[in-house]
Amino acid sequence: MATIFNGLRNLARFSDLLWVLSRFRLKVRYKQSILGWLWAIFQPLALMIIYTIVFTRVTTVATGGIPYPLFVLCALLPWIFFSSSIANAVHGLVLYPNLLTKMYFPREIIPLSYLAAGCADFLMGCLILAAFMIYYRVSPTWNALFAIPIVIVLAGFAAAVALLFSAIHVRFRDIGLALPLLLQVWMFTIPVVYSLQSVPVRFRKLYLLDPVSGLIENFRTVLLRGDRPDAASLAISAGIALAALAIAYAYFKSSEATMADVI
Amino acid sequence: MIDIKVDGVSKQYKLGTSGNSPKRWYSGLVSRRSTPMWALRDVSFQVEQGEALGIVGHNGAGKTTMLRILSSITTPTRGEITVRGRLAALVEVGSGFHPELTGRENIDLHGAMLGMRSSEIRRKLDSIIDFAGVDQYIDVPVKRYSSGMYVRLGFSIAAHLDPDILLLDEVLAVGDFAFQNKCLDRIAELRRAGRTIVFISHDLASVYRLCDRALLLHHGRLVAEGPPRQVIDQYQQMTFAADPESAGLAELQSAAQCSSISFLTPGHSAGVRTGHPMVARLGYRIGQALPGVVFRVSLYWPSGYLCAQLTTDSLQGGVHLEPGEGAVEFHCPALPVVPGLYRVDLSIESNGQEIDARQRCATLNVGPGKPVSGDFHIENSWKLAGVSPEVNVRL
Repeated sequence: MATIFNGLRNLARFSDLLWVLSRFRLKVRYKQSILGWLWAIFQPLALMIIYTIVFTRVTTVATGGIPYPLFVLCALLPWIFFSSSIANAVHGLVLYPNLLTKMYFPREIIPLSYLAAGCADFLMGCLILAAFMIYYRVSPTWNALFAIPIVIVLAGFAAAVALLFSAIHVRFRDIGLALPLLLQVWMFTIPVVYSLQSVPVRFRKLYLLDPVSGLIENFRTVLLRGDRPDAASLAISAGIALAALAIAYAYFKSSEATMADVI
Repeated sequence: MIDIKVDGVSKQYKLGTSGNSPKRWYSGLVSRRSTPMWALRDVSFQVEQGEALGIVGHNGAGKTTMLRILSSITTPTRGEITVRGRLAALVEVGSGFHPELTGRENIDLHGAMLGMRSSEIRRKLDSIIDFAGVDQYIDVPVKRYSSGMYVRLGFSIAAHLDPDILLLDEVLAVGDFAFQNKCLDRIAELRRAGRTIVFISHDLASVYRLCDRALLLHHGRLVAEGPPRQVIDQYQQMTFAADPESAGLAELQSAAQCSSISFLTPGHSAGVRTGHPMVARLGYRIGQALPGVVFRVSLYWPSGYLCAQLTTDSLQGGVHLEPGEGAVEFHCPALPVVPGLYRVDLSIESNGQEIDARQRCATLNVGPGKPVSGDFHIENSWKLAGVSPEVNVRL
C-alpha cells in the first residue's frame, strides 16, 4: 500500500511529463509518413472490411439485426485500443534503454504514455464509428453515455496489463515474443467478431470473468442497441480491473528499483 | 544543513547473465553461476548544503554507480541514501533526447523528464535556447544536430532547472572551449546561489578548480576524503603504484618503458613549489640495447595546451642504453610555472622513433612558492641603475 501511495505522489509531481510524453508519442509516430493521422483509422477500417467479407459471405453471425460492419467496428475500436496500447507499452519501456539507465523519472510514465496515445487514436476511431452509425441510421440513446465509464474501466485494465507485462518484459524478453500470439488468441476469446448471444449459455459466465469481454459487449450494447449496460457484468469488470491495477502498479514500483541494472 | 547523506551504501551487480535472467534458472545445473560484483562497498559520506564535492577514482571504481544511486536511477543493495531538495543529474547530457523531435520539442520533453513543470519550461525557453547557442536550428530535428550542439542543448536545459543539488558526470569533457567556460560560469553562479554540487570526473584539474572537498573511490570503497589537493595527490600515488602491474604484459613487446615519475623538491618532503628547485625523476626499463634514446617529460596546462617540456634531446642525438632498469633525473634550479595542476605525458624515443608514450599518466601539483603574477615566475634579481636626481624630478 505504501509503495502505491508513494508512487502516486511521485507520479503527480511528474504529471506534466506524462502529458508531454503522450503528445510526443503521437507526434513521433506519424512523423515522416505521408498519410500521418489517417493511419490511426486505417487499421480498424481494414479489419472491419476483412471481417465483414468473411462473416457475411463465407459464414454468418447473428448480430441481432445490427449491420455487420457496424457490429464489428464497434468492438474492434476498443479492442485495438486495448491490445495496441499493451503491445506498444511493453516494447516502449525497453526501446530507449538510455532513458532507464541515465535519467530518473517514474518509469510507469513510459507505458502510461503509450496508453494515452492509444486513447487518442481510439477517440479518432470513434468519429468514424459515429459516421457509420449515421450511414446505417442507427441513432444512439442516452444510454450511449454509459460508454464513458466503460472506456475508463477498459483503460484502467489496459494500464494494469501494460504495467505488469512491461515490468516483466524488462527482465524476461519472452513476454514481448509471446505477446502477439497471446493478443491474437485473446481477441478470439472475446465477442469481437461474433456476439455474446451466439456463445453457448454454459460458457457465458466464464466470459464475464474477462473484463475485456464484458466491457466490449457492454460497449456495443449501449452504443448500437441503445440498451442499458449489463450492470452485474460492468461491476465485475470494474472490480477486477481495479484489483489488477493495484497489484500491477505495486509490482511495477517494486521492480522499478532495479530496472536500470537488468535492462 | 546536510543535503545528501549516504549511509553504508553497497551495490552489487551480477555480471555475465543480466540480473535474474532466465538463464540463471539452469545455470546452476551446468555450474556456471553468474559472478556477483560489488560496485560499491559500505560507502558513507555527507554533503553539506552549498558545498561542491568532487568524486575521483579510476575507471570502475564506482563513481558512476554512486551517481546513479544518488539520482535514484537505481537503488543500493544495502545501506541508505537521504537527499533533501530538488536534484538534477547530468549523466551524459542529451541522452534523453528523441532524434526525430526538434530542438524545441526536445526542450519540452527533456525538461519534463528532469522534473520541470511545463509553465517553467515556457518561461525559460528563450534563455535555454540562447545559452545553448542553437537558435537557428531550434526547429530542426535533433538527429541533424552536431554532437556539440546536442551536448550544449542538453547542458543548457539542465542548467536552467535551478536544482538544489546538481550532479555532474564528466559533462565538461565535451563541448568546445568557449562552451566549457560558459558551463563553468554557470556552475560558479549556482555555487554562489548556495546550491550543492557533486562533481564526478577524471579531469583532476577541474575537480581541483571547482570543489571544496573530494572523495576518492577505489574498487568500490571510499579510501580518502579531504581537501581536493590532498585527495588528488593520493589518487595519483595509487595510480602509479598500480601501473607497473598493469603494464607488465606490455613489457615483452615494447623495447622500453617508463616505469615511474616523481617530482620533488631536493631536501624537502613537501611538494614542489613555484620558484623553488625541482627534481623530476623518470624511471625506465629497457628490454634490448637501444641507440639514440631520448626521454621527454611534457607538462600540459589544464586547458590541454603544452606548457613546457623537459627533455634529454640534444645535438648529440640521444644516448645509447643497454637492457636494464634506471632513471633519468632532470634538475631545475627554479620551477617557473604558476601553482596549479599540470597533466604529465612521458615518452621514450629511439633514433627519433617513439618506443613508449604515456599520455596524461600523472599530474604535477605545483604549490604556491614565490609570488607570481601571470603565467610564469621569471627568476631575476634587480637593482636601481642609472637613476639621477634630475630624472626623478622630471617624472
